Amino acid sequence: MSGAAPHLVVRSISKRYGPTTVLDHIDLTIRRGELVTLLGPSGCGKTTLLRAIAGLAQPDSGKVELAGRDITHVPPHKRNVGVVFQSYALFPHLTVAGNVAFGLKVRGTARREINAAVERALSLVKLGHLAGRRISALSGGQQQRVALARAIAVEPDVLLFDEALSALDRKLREEMQVELRRLLQDVKATAIFVTHDQDEALTMSDRVAVMNKGRIEQLAEPRELYLRPASLFALNFVGLSTRISGTVLAADNGKVDVETKVGRLSALGNFQAGSPVIVAARPEQLRLGEQSEANSAAGRVRSVVFQGSRTLVEVDAGAGESLLAELSERDGAIPRVHDEIRLSWPVTETFAFPMEAQA
Amino acid sequence: MMIRAAIVVCWVMAIGLALFLIVPLLVIAAASFSPTPVFDLPLTGASTRWYGRIGRLDGFWPSLLLSLQIALLSTAISLVSGTLAAIAIARGKLPGAGIFATALVSPLMMPGLVLGIALLQGFRAVGFTMPGATLLVAHLVITLPYVARTMIAGLARFDFTLIEAARTLGCTYPGSVLRVMVPALAPSFLIAGIFSFLASFDNYPVSIFLADVRTKTLPIRMLQYIEEAPDPTLAALSTLILTGTVILLFVSDRVVGLHRMAGTSD
Ligand SMILES: Nc1ncnc2c1ncn2[C@@H]1O[C@H](COP(=O)(O)OP(=O)(O)O)[C@@H](O)[C@H]1O
Ligand SMILES: [Mg+2]
Repeated sequence: MSGAAPHLVVRSISKRYGPTTVLDHIDLTIRRGELVTLLGPSGCGKTTLLRAIAGLAQPDSGKVELAGRDITHVPPHKRNVGVVFQSYALFPHLTVAGNVAFGLKVRGTARREINAAVERALSLVKLGHLAGRRISALSGGQQQRVALARAIAVEPDVLLFDEALSALDRKLREEMQVELRRLLQDVKATAIFVTHDQDEALTMSDRVAVMNKGRIEQLAEPRELYLRPASLFALNFVGLSTRISGTVLAADNGKVDVETKVGRLSALGNFQAGSPVIVAARPEQLRLGEQSEANSAAGRVRSVVFQGSRTLVEVDAGAGESLLAELSERDGAIPRVHDEIRLSWPVTETFAFPMEAQA
Repeated sequence: MMIRAAIVVCWVMAIGLALFLIVPLLVIAAASFSPTPVFDLPLTGASTRWYGRIGRLDGFWPSLLLSLQIALLSTAISLVSGTLAAIAIARGKLPGAGIFATALVSPLMMPGLVLGIALLQGFRAVGFTMPGATLLVAHLVITLPYVARTMIAGLARFDFTLIEAARTLGCTYPGSVLRVMVPALAPSFLIAGIFSFLASFDNYPVSIFLADVRTKTLPIRMLQYIEEAPDPTLAALSTLILTGTVILLFVSDRVVGLHRMAGTSD
């Protein structure tokens, strides 16, 4: 099958619970073998979208297609969708192997095939030696792996992970992120992760869908999402930034000049003169000193936070505005608190967003 | 030093209490093998003739049968209705679920005597006087709280996403309930059933108000025997009941664990 063929298609799905619109005309197309993350704050509808795909929640309108089949009205047990739940939802009355075999038994698979599939799934998650254990005798990380093995064993058309790693401690979680991504790529799984953790999203996915209030604000590769955020919400949710409010003075073909309290700045964006905007740049774009053809602003250093290879410097630019720069020792001495400094950054890495969309 | 003394005191208390609870049972068991009609220590020889007499006690078989019937029937009805009620309380977005739960369990906290009088008066007031039926309904009041309490606790521990997990793995909804919820709740079910059965089977204070000549439950009959002819036959019967209970508890301990039944751990 072609790698570019749409595998999971969500068409304009909407869902309301009482007066609140939880999903607002969501469109999402995922290719076979792709790993996509739904990233957004708590309550934005990520779980609901996942449940709609799994068939556990019926959308009010819209369609879901999986592997070329319209599954909008297909019950969950006939969808061939694998789900790894946040609580793992392992069956306490079954052993590790019993849990992994569950889906195959239900499908009436022959015993020998089941045994082989269970063995394969457990060795994938490196738990072959624990097949006979009771669930209650496993650590959190091990339970997470059993849940994964159980979902993989039935060879689902798509795997859905709802905050599946969030219960693990930080170190284990970061290890699992890398391992899980490699494992899913090895078995050529198509998967959707749900998370509110931006690092997890950037680490694990081919593409990230930033969700806000029941809508997808941006669907892009992690790199593009970070470098070219499509909205102020996406900018704020992924990574740090300097943000300065102002008014458009002049607009010219995808570029605007903006009057702000820290001086005149240029940014990319399409606006009419007079529009209120937020001008933003990523902290690693800011450099000490002047550059030609660049934006710049001056101020007094408010805080310096050492972060290993980099140092975050926050500058009070006056009038309630501040600048955030990520500086490296390699590019010169790091300023100290209370130093008066000037920072500059390229116009091509400066973006203007409409003011009213501020989230 | 103080701590060690405290530990010793606690141990002495614990052992003393355990003896205090167990010794009377041992005495009963010993008395049932007494060779003479009047139980005397030390025992001079042993006899099983009192066990042979149990069946010949006046009205024993009808009473045993009645008690078993009432206990089994009330337990069965309680298990079904109590579980449904527990689901509504633990799961449904029932307004005032806490009040319902308390109401369901409240007969446990009421003196049996008060309950008996209240039921008798209540039944009379509404003209409900069918002998066996009143007894059954009264025993439902006794058994339902045990079932409700155990099942509410069991359901509170049950993770309903297990059902969703089973569904995504290929189970229909009823299939998921059967394959996942029933096994997960089976221990609670067994515990509820046993406690309910025992509570009904040995109830005296409520039954006494609702029994008539034809519907005398075993405990009522036994008290009557004691008054009429206090010989070791009754001790033999008590020992049999005790043995049955111990076997029941032993088997359920094998199945679900006694500590869970006692509620000292989950
Ligand atoms: N079964 C439900 N009944 C009522 N409201 C619900 C239900 N499920 C979710 N919601 C509401 O929908 C919104 C989105 O929930 P959810 O999809 O769980 O968000 P997320 O997973 O992004 O945190 C929340 O405001 C939540 O309260
Ligand atoms: Mg969620």
